[in-house]
Amino acid sequence: MNDMRLMKRDVDMNDTKISAKGVQVFYGDTHAIKNVDVEIKDKTVTAFIGPSGCGKSTFLRCLNRMNDTIDICRVEGNILLDGEDIYDKRVDPVQLRAKVGMVFQKPNPFPKSIYDNVAYGPRIHGLAKNKADLDDIVEKSLRRGAIWDEVKDRLHAPGTGLSGGQQQRLCIARAVATEPEVLLMDEPCSALDPIATLQVEELIDELRENFSVVIVTHSMQQAARVSQKTAFFHLGNLVEYGDTEQIFTNPKDERTESYITGRIG
Amino acid sequence: MSDFTADNSAQPKNSSLLAESPRTKRRNASEARFKAYGIAAIITGLLFLVLLLSSILMNGLPAFKQTFVTVPVLLDEAKLDKSGVRDPEVMAKVTTFGYKPLIEQAFVTALEEQGIEVPFSKPKDAAKILSSSAPAQVRDMVLANPDLIGQTVEFRLLTSSRVDGYFKGRVLRDDLARDKNLDAEHLDISDQLVAAGLMETTFNVDFIFGADASESRPEQAGIGVSMVGSFFMMLVVLALALPIGVATSIYLEEFAPQNKWTDLIEVNISNLAAVPSIVFGILGLAVFIQFAHLPQSAPLVGGLVLTLMTLPTIIISTRASLKAVPPSIRDAALGVGASKMQSVFHHVLPLAMPGILTGTIIGLAQALGETAPLLLIGMVGYIASNMPDGIASGFIDPNSAMPAQIYEWAKRADPAYYERAWGGIIILLIFLMTMNIIAVILRRRFERRW
Repeated sequence: MNDMRLMKRDVDMNDTKISAKGVQVFYGDTHAIKNVDVEIKDKTVTAFIGPSGCGKSTFLRCLNRMNDTIDICRVEGNILLDGEDIYDKRVDPVQLRAKVGMVFQKPNPFPKSIYDNVAYGPRIHGLAKNKADLDDIVEKSLRRGAIWDEVKDRLHAPGTGLSGGQQQRLCIARAVATEPEVLLMDEPCSALDPIATLQVEELIDELRENFSVVIVTHSMQQAARVSQKTAFFHLGNLVEYGDTEQIFTNPKDERTESYITGRIG
Repeated sequence: MSDFTADNSAQPKNSSLLAESPRTKRRNASEARFKAYGIAAIITGLLFLVLLLSSILMNGLPAFKQTFVTVPVLLDEAKLDKSGVRDPEVMAKVTTFGYKPLIEQAFVTALEEQGIEVPFSKPKDAAKILSSSAPAQVRDMVLANPDLIGQTVEFRLLTSSRVDGYFKGRVLRDDLARDKNLDAEHLDISDQLVAAGLMETTFNVDFIFGADASESRPEQAGIGVSMVGSFFMMLVVLALALPIGVATSIYLEEFAPQNKWTDLIEVNISNLAAVPSIVFGILGLAVFIQFAHLPQSAPLVGGLVLTLMTLPTIIISTRASLKAVPPSIRDAALGVGASKMQSVFHHVLPLAMPGILTGTIIGLAQALGETAPLLLIGMVGYIASNMPDGIASGFIDPNSAMPAQIYEWAKRADPAYYERAWGGIIILLIFLMTMNIIAVILRRRFERRW
């Protein structure tokens, strides 16, 4: 897994999905994100890399306003989703999070059945008219999560009984069940073994057909393998943002080069 | 403590693993000593527990038994129903004083039939063996069944507490010299009655289900009515403390911003948990009775006071169990677009439920055993009435509560009441243990792993 093979894949230069301008984040007195501008494209995997504590997860959590749950967190600047400011007073974060799904670092299935895990989102958003509809959504989501074949015979077994990798794919299935437009992934493979990681990475690549995916990762190899765009964060600054191939082969900034060659971080 | 002192001399280089170094020896010895202290502490605790339980059982178990004597009583129409119309309202004019001579005479007759010598000139003196509750018992029976008049009916009457105590070993013949109510002859008669099979000491259902009795007839007293009082109080506590406590905890834990005000509220809730319960009692007296004019001695007021006392316990345990739900579950729910309330009610609360239930039951058990606040709102004392008529009157009619009843009995002079106080403690402990066992079972049953 240590080879730095790059996926030669065409990057669709589609419309900008999320556009962040001058984003500043403060935790109390700590200035966690400093003036970040970034354009996240649709139907693209964008990777955020950088050393621990550089603010990449914080920035990711700004994109679906998960930071709202932290009392002392303050966000300044503009983040536009399809041209609409998600921090506008009229925006209900609940509605936003239905559009911008999230997968967390540690697999966190609900202590309910596999079926209920996936069906929960569609249920609370009223996406299914009847039971058959819901069954379809659950099956489709589990297939998209590349876990259908493993769990189709035990949909009513508890989701917490699955292995770590299966749990994470279940969480991805749960996230895609609400038909989000953007999928945020916060180090989705950090708790997984290499085989499960490979499965999740393949899954991320497939998800790109339908979603704009933003992934935070500690592993540069992973960023190189799955992403088309890469952003390098350092000490709260967005140091460099560009095509993954360019970042890994020909970084413009010294700090990026030091990081990807292992001299810092 | 001295583990960290450098003591290189004690440990020569190239030491064998098979021989303990002096340092290891010291360390192991101190570990062994610590274990010994722990075991000694546990044994001491267990000894006290055994001492406590065995003294409670030894003192209290006799209260569950009572001595009865079977007496055939001729219900004389001339005395009990002169009019002869068998109208209970007319017959009610004959008080227990009208029944007393009948019973006394019937008792003496019964003794003579058995060939037992009666060394008393008046039937009244011989009948000291019977409880003073006997006339009321016969009268109640007659008023309920007027057709019995004119017949000879066998009654199972309570004996006086002294005779009862004689069979339980509480009253000794040596003590009789100082007892104005009982002579050695009474005990002789009693022994002969037992031999004749007319007098026996059996299980006493009325102790568990009956009402309290006056100071002079402990043999009649039961804990049943105060049990009902406790039950109605617990209903009030459950109906108020659980929703208020859970709603408070959910708001404070999940919704409230962290600021000075919530800090202040938190500190005060913790302080309230440590407030002596008698303070809640005087608060209840001032607010619920003197200000709001709720009835005195009512289980409703008792329940309100105990609610105040239980709330901090429930709030603290509920918050602890909400805190114990991993934040990743909240993230997961918010991440799929659940609102704050949905994430709490769909995910957090079900996971916290076993802890909340346990806390509530422990709080209830604490309230059930609480005496001090009840003293101040008058829920202690002699409750002559029997069971409340219905649910509404159960809440507002004067009543007592189990611990207050026990306190009341322990205060009374007659040693027979001392025995009943211990018996009441056994019943109270059974309730508390049952509640704790239910709490454990609920926790086991509903606990989910994640």
